[in-house]
Amino acid sequence: MKLELTNIEKSFGEKEVLKGISFFAVSGEAFGLLGRNGAGKTTTIRILMDVFPAEKGNVLIDGAPINYNEIKIGYLPEERGLYPKKKIIDQLVYFAALHGMKSKEAVKAADYWLERLDMTQYRNKRLDTLSKGNQQKIQLITALAHNPEIVILDEPFSGLDPVNAMLLKDVVKEEIAKGKIVLFSSHQMSYIEEFCSNIAIINQGEIVLKGNLHDIKHNYTRDKLILRSDREYEILSDLKDISSRTETGEVLIQLDSPDRKREMMQYLTEKYDIDELKVFEPSLNDIFVEYTGGEEKGGEKE
Amino acid sequence: MNQFGTILKFELLSYLKNKTFLGITIFLVVVIAAVMFFPRVSGIIIGGKDKDSSGQEIVVQDEESPVMAILAKDPVQTKLVYDAFSASFPDYRILLPTDGLSDVKEQIISGEIECAFVMENLTSYTYYVNNLNMYDGNTAIADETLQNLCRIDALSQAGISQETAAEILSLQINHETENLGVDQAQNYFYTYIMIMVLYMAILLYGQMVATNVATEKSSRAMELLITSAKPASMMFGKVIASCLAGIIQLVAVFGSAYLFYNINKSTWGNNPIITSLFDMPLYLLVYMLIFFVLGFFVYAFLYGAIGSTASKVEDINTSVMPLTFLFIAAFFAVIFSMSSGNVDNMVMKVCSYIPFTSPMAMFTRIAMSTVPFYEVAISIVILILSVFGIGIISAKIYRVGVLLYGTTPKFRAIIKAVRKA
Repeated sequence: MKLELTNIEKSFGEKEVLKGISFFAVSGEAFGLLGRNGAGKTTTIRILMDVFPAEKGNVLIDGAPINYNEIKIGYLPEERGLYPKKKIIDQLVYFAALHGMKSKEAVKAADYWLERLDMTQYRNKRLDTLSKGNQQKIQLITALAHNPEIVILDEPFSGLDPVNAMLLKDVVKEEIAKGKIVLFSSHQMSYIEEFCSNIAIINQGEIVLKGNLHDIKHNYTRDKLILRSDREYEILSDLKDISSRTETGEVLIQLDSPDRKREMMQYLTEKYDIDELKVFEPSLNDIFVEYTGGEEKGGEKE
Repeated sequence: MNQFGTILKFELLSYLKNKTFLGITIFLVVVIAAVMFFPRVSGIIIGGKDKDSSGQEIVVQDEESPVMAILAKDPVQTKLVYDAFSASFPDYRILLPTDGLSDVKEQIISGEIECAFVMENLTSYTYYVNNLNMYDGNTAIADETLQNLCRIDALSQAGISQETAAEILSLQINHETENLGVDQAQNYFYTYIMIMVLYMAILLYGQMVATNVATEKSSRAMELLITSAKPASMMFGKVIASCLAGIIQLVAVFGSAYLFYNINKSTWGNNPIITSLFDMPLYLLVYMLIFFVLGFFVYAFLYGAIGSTASKVEDINTSVMPLTFLFIAAFFAVIFSMSSGNVDNMVMKVCSYIPFTSPMAMFTRIAMSTVPFYEVAISIVILILSVFGIGIISAKIYRVGVLLYGTTPKFRAIIKAVRKA
């Protein structure tokens, strides 16, 4: 299955929030939707979920307009919140039923997920008696219990301790393995790098970069070297004009062109005692900052 | 439709499981029970003092009975007044004290004697009492008794025998009223109660719907809800659930009232208010239900829509104020017209076609006057159309409103957003 958004445009009043967003994601893959606060991610997700219509553009499944009666979507919103005063099992069954499950099925699914996420003991408790991390796990169940074809997770890892983050990672991997489309939106780039094969970066309502993450990284001009050595200060003064020290204590060397890589590597290894030397590949974080930083526009509340 | 059913069930169960809701319902039933059992219980407690007796001549008097003193200058007059008052005031122990007026006054202040009649002559007296009760009818009874006494006296002096005189004086006129329309006096009480119920229910449940929506919004459950269900299903589900909850509550309260009344029917005797309440004709009950449900919907939808525009539950009270004022104004227009007795005045006629006021105004007119059927039909049709119109507009406001956070948006901004949506 292929989910595709084509040329989505949306304005709120005078403000153009989305200026032609297009991207696609396929079954069995996680897709990363990145962007700064107010870039238009939530608006894109809401249009995808038919909360409001786009002014232009389409949401397509395998080339045809999406039928919301057939395609089920699970959503973990960034702004978490359920009914604090209600019993957990009642809420889970309610939301599963809203997505078309019969109540028996819904109870079964809710119990399965409570078990899977280690939450069975809280089944009949009120939500507000749970810790924040556990509430988040309950919220995650509302996104998954009705077995949706498309799972949208907005900042799924925020507020989780390392053990719970691990549990969630496993769950996400399972969902991907089940052949679902998982749409990730996060500012924690390490998780995106871990899961997502394809990404799109939205900045001020436009897609500024999209494609396969590996290709994106590899296509960067390979004209930088990064090295680690005890003699970094000697190297820095030796290559004064082209080297700099990174925050993590490594030395970054900017070459005139990628062709001079080998020559420089040879020179360095012959002259100095080097612990580690490699071609610099930007992290997703670097790419993100490069494409979205600079203009300090922040953006309004979506 | 399936979604609507799910929401309706969830919301209705929320009401029925709500402790406040249950508490209020039980409290009301207990109050009703207390009122309905009152005559029976008080009858048992007061028991021996009960005035109820088969014949007027047989009077239960004991040491506990209040004391009335009669002072007259002329002994013949004293005897006459004593006999007459003994018949007219069966509850009192009547004394003819020989002490002076000042002693009697002291005894009245100390409570030994409750009241005293000091006769100048048969047509003039002074009534002494310590604290004049609001409902003290003794002077009225005394006036009538003395009047009769004088008249009989006058007639017998004119040569008519005492018996004939008494017969002439006690002549009763029989009359009957054939009411071809509605008896306002009889309908007044239940119309009043029904209007009060409608008023309370709409204010209470309207607020509940608004708070409910605002709570979902402020707890951010809304983020998930709007992506899980259609706004129209949400709105209609919530409002209809609250309406059902309201009806269940009313049925519990009025049902128990009816039940308790039937248990205690004998002890209530012929209390006109209570009997008229429970003798309410069926057609009025049906109209009551129609106007209750439709009126409830009109306001509950609007309350829901307003609730959706507030970001915090605390903002609700200010946001709903204009709507509440509109409703209170409608309520007072109806209540004033009711007490003036003219429920068919121009204001009421106009109000019975405006959906915001017609549930109360038209119902009052039906209950307390005779309204042609076509007028009622027009009013109901306007109401039904308005309910759908307001329902759809409210769902649209809701859809826009729930996504707006921060300051409560201006009315014009909402209208603009709704027209775009």
